[in-house]
Amino acid sequence: MKTTNTTRGLGAFSRRSFLKAGGASALAATMMPGLMTGTAKAAYTGTLDLLAWDFQPDTIKSLVGEWTAAGNPAVNVAVIPNLGYTPALQTRLRGGDKIDLYYNFAYNSQKFINEGWATTLNGLPGVDDMIADMFESARSRHVNVAGDIISAPYFSAVHMLHYNQKYLADAGLAVPTTLKEIYDASKTLSSTTPAPYVAYWVKEFCEEYLHTYLLNEQITAFDDAGQPVFADDAKTVGVFEWWQAMYQEGLAPKSLLTDDPGKLSNEMAQGNAAFYVLHHYFLTSIRSLEGPQSANVNMAPAGPSTLQIGEVLQLGQSESEEERQAAWELMKYYGWKDSGGQFKVFNQWAKAAGLAAPYAGFFTDPEVVASFPDYYDLAMLSDTFATKSNVVPARTLPWYPDFQAKVGDIIHALLLGQATPAKTVEDLTAAAKGAQGGRTL
Amino acid sequence: MAAASDLSGLGPKADRAFGLKLVAPAMILLIALLAVPTVLTVVYSLHDVPANGASFGPFVGIENYTIIFASPVFWRSAQVTATFAIGFVVLSTVIGLAMALLLNQRFIGRGLARALLIIPWATPWLVIGILWKWFADGSVGGLNAVLMMLGLISDYQPFLSDPNTALPITVLAAVWRQASFAGILLLAGLQTLPEELHEAAGLDGANVWQRFTNITLPWLKPVLITVTVFNVIYAFLQFDVVFAMTQGGPGDTTQVLSVLIYRQLFVNTNIGLGSALAVILGVVALVGGLAIVRLFYRREVQ
Repeated sequence: MKTTNTTRGLGAFSRRSFLKAGGASALAATMMPGLMTGTAKAAYTGTLDLLAWDFQPDTIKSLVGEWTAAGNPAVNVAVIPNLGYTPALQTRLRGGDKIDLYYNFAYNSQKFINEGWATTLNGLPGVDDMIADMFESARSRHVNVAGDIISAPYFSAVHMLHYNQKYLADAGLAVPTTLKEIYDASKTLSSTTPAPYVAYWVKEFCEEYLHTYLLNEQITAFDDAGQPVFADDAKTVGVFEWWQAMYQEGLAPKSLLTDDPGKLSNEMAQGNAAFYVLHHYFLTSIRSLEGPQSANVNMAPAGPSTLQIGEVLQLGQSESEEERQAAWELMKYYGWKDSGGQFKVFNQWAKAAGLAAPYAGFFTDPEVVASFPDYYDLAMLSDTFATKSNVVPARTLPWYPDFQAKVGDIIHALLLGQATPAKTVEDLTAAAKGAQGGRTL
Repeated sequence: MAAASDLSGLGPKADRAFGLKLVAPAMILLIALLAVPTVLTVVYSLHDVPANGASFGPFVGIENYTIIFASPVFWRSAQVTATFAIGFVVLSTVIGLAMALLLNQRFIGRGLARALLIIPWATPWLVIGILWKWFADGSVGGLNAVLMMLGLISDYQPFLSDPNTALPITVLAAVWRQASFAGILLLAGLQTLPEELHEAAGLDGANVWQRFTNITLPWLKPVLITVTVFNVIYAFLQFDVVFAMTQGGPGDTTQVLSVLIYRQLFVNTNIGLGSALAVILGVVALVGGLAIVRLFYRREVQ
């Protein structure tokens, strides 16, 4: 097992230096496949614990079972509901549960490191190669400001505009990219499709849309130090004016504030909506519903930039070094490649639901390409990951979950007309600063 | 007591010791499951507890309470909780009483109707929330269909996304279950009411309303107090239905204190703040319950 320890003692390097260095080593990694993943079997003879949320639990168990069957340690797989996963996970860890490897939301990752619930991956065999293999745009989700590697990918996605090609063609409209174009197109379409724009604007998801829309207008929300700077950009108020107008003018259904994404996919499939902004893989759900308009729904090229999201795997506290090494081997398999250098797990998720991995090689791997249905433009998707998406590094900072929890209330007040766009900017800035300052409601 | 002691051949002290032994298992359970967590919550509320629970963290005195009382988020949530509680207590009690009165009459299918009354009560709060979320859905919900058939609305309404209707709908959903509980208890109370009382009052010329207010209600008073106290406590502690239906939204329209506590304790892991909120809510529920008891018994004394 070959070890590369380039991240040890990275404190003296900035993240920018590290990420640049990562890019260089990516090239090296592609030429030295042996570096990519550990090939030796773990010496650990005990049982590992994996905690996941309930997306296809049988597939999780099957994938992990295959890993064990290849001569690796047995794994206890525990699955809990996605809704309320963070509270359940935190409660278990706080109660002293030992979990070797677990799914986590990216916005929790640094907090979990700080609380001692997760460990950094620094110095583990092949970890630098894993980071180097990622799209540069994705790395700062997994590498913190100090250069510590805090997580591996579970899956990744980009926010994309899904649109009904037929509706646009019938109305003589081009595919919109800017917010203003979306507004104008929605206005035109509203004569035949009353509320043509849908998005998952429930409280918990408003924060993702905040970044998606700001990035679409090339607005930086947080600077490198994590300070909120969106208020400094004159275009920010315009984004909130657009958001409020879409809802208040009825271009988006009134029920969006509590609708779930499955229902929204169905609205697209049935032809009750013409635009749907959410993670790219919702195209799979719209198409698989086989509604009268499903086949006409496609993914539009991203604007200047969009939000790249990704949930992560984190390594828990292990009782021995052997156990930690074994858990890392499982993590590599689950969050990167198998011992044969294949994206085995990611490929399974691609087949199951169109989920992606934030690795450039993922989109060119023949098996992966074959796993995606033809209606996916993988070149466009890959390009979006590579050059047109941003993970918003502040989203992994330890105070961020507090801010994230407040965004929904503030955005809903805007949408309901209870706050002006200018007041929304003020409230969001105050929420970010309050979250950074410590205990607030 | 003395006679009993003589009969048992033991003195009063021995009786007390024996009694203590009998209640000891229950006492230990109560202390372990109620008293210890309650004390711990109060202690947490006075500390800035780290999320990982490794220690109590620094003692901050009443700082958590100061932060809470200075926050408009808390006062807005308290207002929502109070509105929810009033609607929940009044409707649960009144509808429960109406159902009990109805099911105490003789009619064909009464047995089946009484059995049906148990179904909402036997359904978990969370399931009630999920059922009602779909029932009240703005596109496919049955509630809209019913209201349209009755001619009360002309188009489907997004009840849960509308700040004017979201809270009333969550109250209705919670009442749907709690009213059946109230109905079951009150029906049990009604069945102990001797029919002769109504017959005698009827002979004396009392009409239905007079019999209800002068015989039925006074007879049901002990049960009504119990039901109302339960309803007050459930009202303040309501979480599952609201969370499943709206997660506190839209905006903060349905963000009752229990949702706020959940967010602070389990999502943001602000253990100190969340504990302080829990203490406040606990005190409010306790005071609310005691106030109801006091109100009823004061009237009785008068």
